[in-house]
Amino acid sequence: MQVKRKTPRGIWVLRGVTVAIVLVVLLVVGTVAYSAYEDYSAIRAELAGGSQQASGAAVIRGSTETVSLNITVPNSGLYPLNVTLTCDYPTANVVCQRTSVNVPPGQEGVLRFKMTVSNVSQFESSADRVINGTVAISMTPFVGLTVGTDFGGFVKSGGG
Amino acid sequence: MYGKTVTTRKRILSAVWALVVNVVFWIVIPYYVGVFLAGRVPESALTVPSFVYEFGILFIILEVGAAFFQGKAVAVPMISGVALLTVVYIWYATNGGILGVETAGITIALSFRILLYVLVLPSVWAAIRAPLAYMVWRNAMKAELSTSPSAV
Repeated sequence: MQVKRKTPRGIWVLRGVTVAIVLVVLLVVGTVAYSAYEDYSAIRAELAGGSQQASGAAVIRGSTETVSLNITVPNSGLYPLNVTLTCDYPTANVVCQRTSVNVPPGQEGVLRFKMTVSNVSQFESSADRVINGTVAISMTPFVGLTVGTDFGGFVKSGGG
Repeated sequence: MYGKTVTTRKRILSAVWALVVNVVFWIVIPYYVGVFLAGRVPESALTVPSFVYEFGILFIILEVGAAFFQGKAVAVPMISGVALLTVVYIWYATNGGILGVETAGITIALSFRILLYVLVLPSVWAAIRAPLAYMVWRNAMKAELSTSPSAV
């Protein structure tokens, strides 16, 4: 006949810790997934929908072109959102301001990006019209997405 | 787990079950996923990396051993081993929480190291919990024996 033993108190404590850890993991993963989905949907709607909240201008004075972008970044998620735009140097004739915005949950932030291309006609006639730039979006503190792409498309074609 | 008497028949059945489940999970499914990927996207470099099978063999050995020796002290390092191997596997498979891809002149990098720490937390705890649980049961059984020797 098998002896039925009472489960020791220490085992209940260990089980309690296990349940607590699993709940924390589920909570973190669930909220991160939810925030990522909400932020992605909001930003995609912002970019694809032709929203009035994103505006840009390219102004040419003499041989210098200044590209300005004002982008409203909504944060529909549960974690603070940080968006940063940078240009990767060295790029000839191009000066970028590193710009960054921190958006608390449920709010909107405006990202103001300015890029100056001196001697724009030379830039346009060059074979390599690439301005390597980086867009970094991070859901503080858990996930960060970095996209390295060409900012050359922002420069107004035709030199005016 | 440590407080129960386990028959040899039950040990063998548990070990066979662990073997079947782990072979399916670590060998059969990755193999067919590899065949599927090779058939659908032949030009792509998408394949199931060999480390999945290598880790799978280690998982199978440890899981079968832990199932066979359940309730005994020798099962403790095997249970902890499975948990620690899970941590290493997750870390290795996700490149330490930094994944990158480059396509059509666009570089995309995803960094989720802190999330990864959270994801491996249950496995780290499982590795710590196994010896603690064994010690708690052993102490409880010792106390039981010392208070009423006729109970066993």
